[in-house]
Amino acid sequence: MTHTLDVSDATSRFGSSHALDAPTPARSATATTTSRLGTFVITFGIAFVILYTVFERLNWPLFTYHPAVGKLDFWMQRARSGEGPPMYWYGWLALSFPCALLVGWVATMFPPRGLYRATLFCCLLAALWPASFALAVFIADQVSFDAEFLKSIWLSAIPALVAAAAVTWLVSTEWAQRVWMGWLLIMPLGGLVVLGYSLKQYFLR
Amino acid sequence: MDIIFEIVSVRTFWRMLLFAHFLMAVGLLAAVTLQAVAVMIPVRQTAGNFIDRLRPGPAASYALAVVILYVPTFLLGAWIYIKYRTYVRIPMEQIGQWRTVGAFEWKEHVVTMGMGLLPAYWYFWRQPLSEEHATIRKWLTLFLAFTVWYSFVVGHVANDFRGVGS
Repeated sequence: MTHTLDVSDATSRFGSSHALDAPTPARSATATTTSRLGTFVITFGIAFVILYTVFERLNWPLFTYHPAVGKLDFWMQRARSGEGPPMYWYGWLALSFPCALLVGWVATMFPPRGLYRATLFCCLLAALWPASFALAVFIADQVSFDAEFLKSIWLSAIPALVAAAAVTWLVSTEWAQRVWMGWLLIMPLGGLVVLGYSLKQYFLR
Repeated sequence: MDIIFEIVSVRTFWRMLLFAHFLMAVGLLAAVTLQAVAVMIPVRQTAGNFIDRLRPGPAASYALAVVILYVPTFLLGAWIYIKYRTYVRIPMEQIGQWRTVGAFEWKEHVVTMGMGLLPAYWYFWRQPLSEEHATIRKWLTLFLAFTVWYSFVVGHVANDFRGVGS
């Protein structure tokens, strides 16, 4: 019953132009498919860009390809003598794609309210984590005592998690719903800023 | 692959792939640019002045072409990337063309982001178009247009360094 109500709610969200006035069984089925498809593609898009950015920054490829010798290694392998440069991009893609598919599929089973809040939490965490890490690195470089421990990517996740959870708890579901589709544009732009900043050494030499 | 290399040289083979990638990219560039212009300046009435007459047709008509061209252009680019990594990037680094290397590195991220948003782009351009999604549709189109333009320009620069006709 809950699931039926959720689907009905989702229908009104996604496809007012696709959804039709007369609630015949055939039309309802079409509208349900559309709404689930909409949830899937939007969540897939958001999850893919976040996961790709995270995997690239943490350098977590599913595999490493050595083009000079045509060899594949599982996970991340550094360059080995005589084997040419390693390529990680394929590995990041190969890991991001199925993970985002899984997230998109799971999202279709979420009730809409939960989906908006879960998306808000994940997107805030994705934005606050690098910000928290950058702040921690800045503080560690400025203070007079040894604060190298602050430069841990995992330590900086704690304040980001707390802040993301607090904001998600404080904002209204209506607001989370209003910004839901907006993450589809905010996250790729944010990801490109983070990834672009990581390439700054190429432009400052 | 050995059968192919008996007919054409390795160098010619990669150049043919690069040229096919270029041709598809030109088609994609045309489709996404016309669509971006169409969403920015939608057709409202009969053409008047010169600029109005240049205005492209309904934006939705380009969506399928963009999706169909984006995927194989991306896949072919991903294949050619192997050759870029060994045959182009290493000499670039040796002579200190760091900005070109950096710009190409960012290109791989830019096209990947575009690829990730392609299913949503396709969804929002499905007929009948939903009026309430006009804004997200417009911005997704502009974002894809940016990814294609950036990749085209940077790819062209890399090709000029070591590619077809260079």
